[in-house]
Amino acid sequence: MLSIISLSLFGILNLFLGFLKSRRVLLPATLLFIALAFAANLLDWNHQYVYFRDMLRTNNLFINFSSIILLTTFLTVAISRSFGTDEEHTHPAEYYAIMLFSVVGALMMVGFENLIMLFIGLEILSVSLYVLTGSDKRSLRSNEAALKYFLMGSFATGIFLFGIALVYGATGSFNLSAIGSYVSGGPTTGISPLLYVGLLFILAGMLFKVSAAPFHFWTPDVYDGAPTLFTAFMSTVVKTAGFAALYRLLTVSFTGVYGLWWQVLTGVTVLTLLVGNITAVYQSSVKRMLAYSSVSHAGYLLIAVAAKTPQSPSAILFYSLAYSIATITGFAVLILVAEQKPIEGRPDERYEAFNGLAKRNPLLAFSLAVSMVSLAGIPLTAGFWGKFFVFSTAVDRGMTNMGMVLVVAVLMSVVGVYYYFRVIIASYLKTGDSEPIGIRPLYRFILVLTTALTIGLGLFPDVVRQLF
Amino acid sequence: MPVFYPLLAVNSAIPLSYFVLASAALFSIGLGVVVVKRNAIVVLMGVELMLNAANLNLVAFSRYDPDLKGQMFGLFVIVVAAAEAVVALAIVLLVYRRFQTVDLDEVNEMKR
Amino acid sequence: MNTNYLPSDYLPIVVQLLAALGFIVGSMLVSHNIGPKRHSKKKDDPFECGIPTEGDARTPISVKYFLVAILFVLFDVEIIFLYPWAVNFLDWMKESREMAIAIFVEMILFMGLLLVGFYYIIRKGVLNWNQ
Repeated sequence: MLSIISLSLFGILNLFLGFLKSRRVLLPATLLFIALAFAANLLDWNHQYVYFRDMLRTNNLFINFSSIILLTTFLTVAISRSFGTDEEHTHPAEYYAIMLFSVVGALMMVGFENLIMLFIGLEILSVSLYVLTGSDKRSLRSNEAALKYFLMGSFATGIFLFGIALVYGATGSFNLSAIGSYVSGGPTTGISPLLYVGLLFILAGMLFKVSAAPFHFWTPDVYDGAPTLFTAFMSTVVKTAGFAALYRLLTVSFTGVYGLWWQVLTGVTVLTLLVGNITAVYQSSVKRMLAYSSVSHAGYLLIAVAAKTPQSPSAILFYSLAYSIATITGFAVLILVAEQKPIEGRPDERYEAFNGLAKRNPLLAFSLAVSMVSLAGIPLTAGFWGKFFVFSTAVDRGMTNMGMVLVVAVLMSVVGVYYYFRVIIASYLKTGDSEPIGIRPLYRFILVLTTALTIGLGLFPDVVRQLF
Repeated sequence: MPVFYPLLAVNSAIPLSYFVLASAALFSIGLGVVVVKRNAIVVLMGVELMLNAANLNLVAFSRYDPDLKGQMFGLFVIVVAAAEAVVALAIVLLVYRRFQTVDLDEVNEMKR
Repeated sequence: MNTNYLPSDYLPIVVQLLAALGFIVGSMLVSHNIGPKRHSKKKDDPFECGIPTEGDARTPISVKYFLVAILFVLFDVEIIFLYPWAVNFLDWMKESREMAIAIFVEMILFMGLLLVGFYYIIRKGVLNWNQ
C-alpha cells in the first residue's frame, strides 16, 4: 500500500528531476526510488490490511507478487541506457516516470479488492505501456507497434469493461467477496445469465492483456516493434501482474462457477501452448522468437490458474519469478548483441548476430545460455522448478481433468528446447567475425546477478518457496 | 404517478431490459466499427462507443443499487476514456507524420 | 432512489432531440429553398474573392494547437470528480466535522496533484507560443 503511494510520488519527482541540467542523476535516483518502494512494501509482511473502504487488500500474496514486479522493474531500469542515440530528442526522465507509473498500475492489479481498482490499475498499466511502446519516435516500427498495441489494447479494455458492467448487473456489487458470496451462495432465483456472459467478457479482456491465444495476435508485432528494453519490461511485469489479477479474480469471486471457467481456461491453455511454441520455431529474429516464447509461457502459467489447487499461487509466483529473471537476462544480452552491427540503421536481431559470441564475450554467452536453458525448463535452473511446480498443480487436480493439457504441455516443452537451443548453438558452436562488446560495470553486475539467481533458484528452490 | 404527456401515455415503468438492449446494440455497433473500419480515427471512435455502451449499462444497473456504485464507476470510465483518447491521438499524430496516412492497412512496416 | 421511471419521464429528451434535429434540417432546407440561385463558372468556384485559388484547405497547422486541445481535454475531464464530492459534502458536514475536514483535505490533495501536473506543463514550455 505504502509502495503504491510512494511510487506515484516518486514518479512525479522523477518528472521534475528531468529539468536538472545533468541527466546522470536520473538512473541512480530511479533505482533508489524502486528500492525504497521495495522496502516500504516489505513493512506489511505477515499483516493483513484492507484500505479505502474495501478497495485494496494487502497480504503476503500481494507482497510476494509486488516484490517480483518491483524486482523485475529494478533489473529493467538498471540495464536501461540513454533511450536512443539522439541526445536532444530523448526524454529519459519521462520514460523512467512512466515506468514507475505503470508499476503503480501493476501493483493495483495485484492488490485489488474491488473491480473498480482492477479496471483503473489495468488502464494505468496499459496506457503507460502504449506510450513506452512508441517511445522511439524516429522508428517507423516503434510507431506502428504503438498504434497496433493501442487499438488492440483499448478494444480489449472495452470488452473487459462491458463484462464488468454485466457482472455488476447480475450481482449488484463490484466487491470481490460480495460477488463471490453471490456466486457460491446460490441466489434463490438461480445465477443470472448476465453473470456468465460477463465472466466470459472479463476473461477475454484479461487473457488479451496477458497475450494468451487466441487473443495473442498483437503480441509479436508489438514486442518486435517496441524498443527492446520496454519489450523486456512488458513481457515480464504485465505477465506477472496479469496472472496475479486473473488468479485473484477467479478464485475469490468465481469459485462457485469453477465448472464453467476451468473448461474455457484449459481450452485457451492448449491453444496458447500449441500456437506459442510452434510459431516460435519458425522465427528468424531472436526478438520475435522471445515474443512467441512469452505467449507460450502464458500458456504454462494458465495451467496453474486452471488447476486452482492450494499450491497454485506459489506455483504462479515461482514461475513468474523464474520467467521474469530469465527473460530480462535474455533481452539484456539481445540489446548488446543486436546493437553491435546494425543493418540499415536497425539493430540486427537475427540468430546470425549471435554467431561466435562465446569467443568474444564469454560472460554474455554464458548468461544467455543459462537464461535460455531456464526458459526451456532444463534441470538445475529456476525454469525447471517453475515448470515442475506448475505441472504438479495440474497433477493434483487430477488426470481426468488436466491430462490432455499436461500431455500437450510436456510435448511443447520439448519443442521449446529446439528454438531456445538455436541461440546457444549459434553463440557457442558457430564462428563470427565481430569484435568483443564493451559492457558497463552496472550492466555486467546485473547480468551476473540474474544468472546467479537463475542457477541459485534452480539448486535451492526451497529457499524462496518457503516465503510463498 | 400522474402522466403529463399525453403523447406517451404509458403507465408501466421502462423495464431494465430496454437499457441493456440499447447498450448491447451500442456495444455491437462499436465492435463492428472496430473490426470493419480501416481508418485509425474511426476505429478509435468505435472503441469509445464500446466504452460508452458499458457506461450506459453501469448507470442503468445502478438504478437498483442504493449506493450508486455504478454511477461512480461511470465517472472513472469517462476519465480513463479521456486519458486513453489523449494518448491515442498523440500516437495517431506521430504515425501520420511518419507514414503520411492513418489507414491501418498501409501502416505495415513490419511485414516488409 | 426512484427506480420507477415512466416512459413519459423521458419526453423532455425526445423533445430536445427533435428540436435539435429540426433546427438543423429546417435551417438547411430554408437556406436552400429561399435564396436565389445563379450558377456560373465563377460563382461555383471555391474561394471566389478575386484571387485565384491556391493549395487546398488541409494545410498543416502547428502542433501547438493540438497540444493545447489535448491538455484541455485532460484537465477538463478531471472536473468530473468534483461533482459527487460537492454534492455530498454538506451531508458529511452534518454527519461529523472531522470527516468533512478529512474529505476536504483529500480534495485539496487531488487538486494539488493536478496543479503539479500543470506546473510541469508550464516548465516544459508547452504553453509557450513564442518559440
